[in-house]
Amino acid sequence: MSRIRVGSPIPALSWAAWIALIAIFGSVGNAGAQDAANVVDRSQVVISERAIHHIMVRHWPDSPAAGAGKYAPGMTADLLRQMVDETVENGRSRENTNGRPGRIYEYDFGHPIGIKVNGRPAYRLRVVVNDRNELVTAFPF
Amino acid sequence: MHLDYRLSENWDSDPVFLLAADETEFRYYAFAGDIILRKAQTDLSTHWGWVPLVDFAIGLRDIAASIEAGIAAARTFEFTESDATLEFERLGAEITVRSSYAPGKIVLPSTEFRKQALDFGRRLDMELLSRLPELRQNAAYQALKLSGLSD
Repeated sequence: MSRIRVGSPIPALSWAAWIALIAIFGSVGNAGAQDAANVVDRSQVVISERAIHHIMVRHWPDSPAAGAGKYAPGMTADLLRQMVDETVENGRSRENTNGRPGRIYEYDFGHPIGIKVNGRPAYRLRVVVNDRNELVTAFPF
Repeated sequence: MHLDYRLSENWDSDPVFLLAADETEFRYYAFAGDIILRKAQTDLSTHWGWVPLVDFAIGLRDIAASIEAGIAAARTFEFTESDATLEFERLGAEITVRSSYAPGKIVLPSTEFRKQALDFGRRLDMELLSRLPELRQNAAYQALKLSGLSD
């Protein structure tokens, strides 16, 4: 049986095998995610009452706030937590913009979760978390 | 270009919160209002009441600085609570401003854009400190340097 010693060159066939293994297992690890960023901390987001209040004021079905997407009727704080978790676990992730701290996650639920600013059905959720992994805001768009 | 702001009546003025607020809270939760952005017949102002004005001042200042320095030819400002955006594009010595939520565009010299962006932050800073002198004790607010950064 041949062995690869530390410091010895790895045969070309072995490199190909390694690349194939990385491709296979790397994709399995992100099977549910909508992006390829596997260095993002997708642990459960901390959700404070303040964050929920902030979201309710702007995005709850009965919120009068203009220019902001709204959740579908029947929305609850528990459902919000579930949707945030699903978005952070499976959504696309990017750095927050305009120098704001934290990250943005966006997830397409595949069915309407509320309405957009223009009154059309919203399928996606945008979640913003700060650099302590605490929820900042979350809204349909 | 007329660039200004309007603080909402119901902005969170709780001194306890504002004294302890961190950068994220200033950029998402505190001092909500609207921006006034218009020139001639074009009006890109917001009418939502929830735009975090400190965040807008910082974002605008950074966009102006990066465009002026040639780091970027175009930048996008994403609003915090919707997918609405403002697009800033430099073409020669001028900046073109467009929005995703209102028709039309505003064109102005890049030097004027930068001046107005800085002035926006200074005016906002002066008003907030005038209304709430306790803000001087908040290190996170002071670190934002609404007046004078990027000069």
